[in-house]
Amino acid sequence: MSTGQYNYSYIFKYIIIGDMGVGKSCLLHQFTEKKFMADCPHTIGVEFGTRIIEVAGQKIKLQIWDTAGQERFRAVTRSYYRGAAGALMVYDITRRSTYNHLSSWLTDTRTLTNPSTVIFLIGNKCDLEAQRDVTYEEAKQFADENGLMFVEASAKTGQNVEEAFLETARKIYQSIQDGRLDLNAAESGVQHKPSQPGRNTLNNDQQQNRYNKDNCAC
Amino acid sequence: MNDLLNEVVSPEDLQKFENIYHQQLYKNDVTPKAQFEYAWCLVRSKYPVDIKKGLVLLQELFTTHEEGKRDYLFYLALGNARLKQYRQALNFLNAFLNIEPNNSQVIGLKNVIEKKMTQEGLKGIAITGGAIVALGAVVSLGISLLGAAKK
Repeated sequence: MSTGQYNYSYIFKYIIIGDMGVGKSCLLHQFTEKKFMADCPHTIGVEFGTRIIEVAGQKIKLQIWDTAGQERFRAVTRSYYRGAAGALMVYDITRRSTYNHLSSWLTDTRTLTNPSTVIFLIGNKCDLEAQRDVTYEEAKQFADENGLMFVEASAKTGQNVEEAFLETARKIYQSIQDGRLDLNAAESGVQHKPSQPGRNTLNNDQQQNRYNKDNCAC
Repeated sequence: MNDLLNEVVSPEDLQKFENIYHQQLYKNDVTPKAQFEYAWCLVRSKYPVDIKKGLVLLQELFTTHEEGKRDYLFYLALGNARLKQYRQALNFLNAFLNIEPNNSQVIGLKNVIEKKMTQEGLKGIAITGGAIVALGAVVSLGISLLGAAKK
């Protein structure tokens, strides 16, 4: 993340959601660092990652908000759904309960995002075939019935991880090309050509200083 | 990771969790959950006064609610970092890393803060001093308000 990073045309906002322990942070880590994080601790609140990718010759910066799966964070993490262009909904193929909860995650996503938000279902831990608890076919059927994109992936081996993140971006890009996604809508989750770097931060600083001064009238 | 320090809570969310907290406060029965959710929103506010209030609530949780200690430590660090009280933020993160040395989320935040300290040079230290003055100001403001109320 150097200062000269503004050489991309779009920013897409993603969220990663799903039950605790399904491997959301490990998928993010595999995607941004190309490494598997063993013994990944529970995420606190939300974690953040970025990576610049290329779709149809355009550089796109993915801004990824990885939400904690623990129930006690759920009320507040809901506010991160707003304005997401892509939602990666993750379950663990070796734990049926994480699959059974998908409809609840899907309801949240549909309620809190736009109709144009691309939802991608990921069945993680597909390297653990011997412990499989959810078949590919039934998850595929669930995805088809709900109009979701779907792959089984492994954050450990890296299998299909790139594909899931990139396929989501391609679909979002396609929506922009087709005019289905309105870039000017406040909550489209897509920003075109970022404005002057640092401008916002400067404004914030000024605002904060002014605020501090106001409060010092003692 | 830098965006964690710049991202701002929406006024609606802040209001929503503030209402829940205040309702419980009114009944004198605040759950750690409501207090944490409100504090988590406060430390993501654009107003330093809110962030400071969030830090007070987190500090209280940290001493009274064993179960969520790692969460409270993390957000105590985040809130301090957003106030540019970097040294204080690092103290909280280092305390966290004493217990979980390999936590990549915490290491990530630490790296961002250290980078900011280098970028901003001595500014961070100067502002820490300023913040103590500001805290004093808040306290004296409170005292003067009390005085005003009596009249």
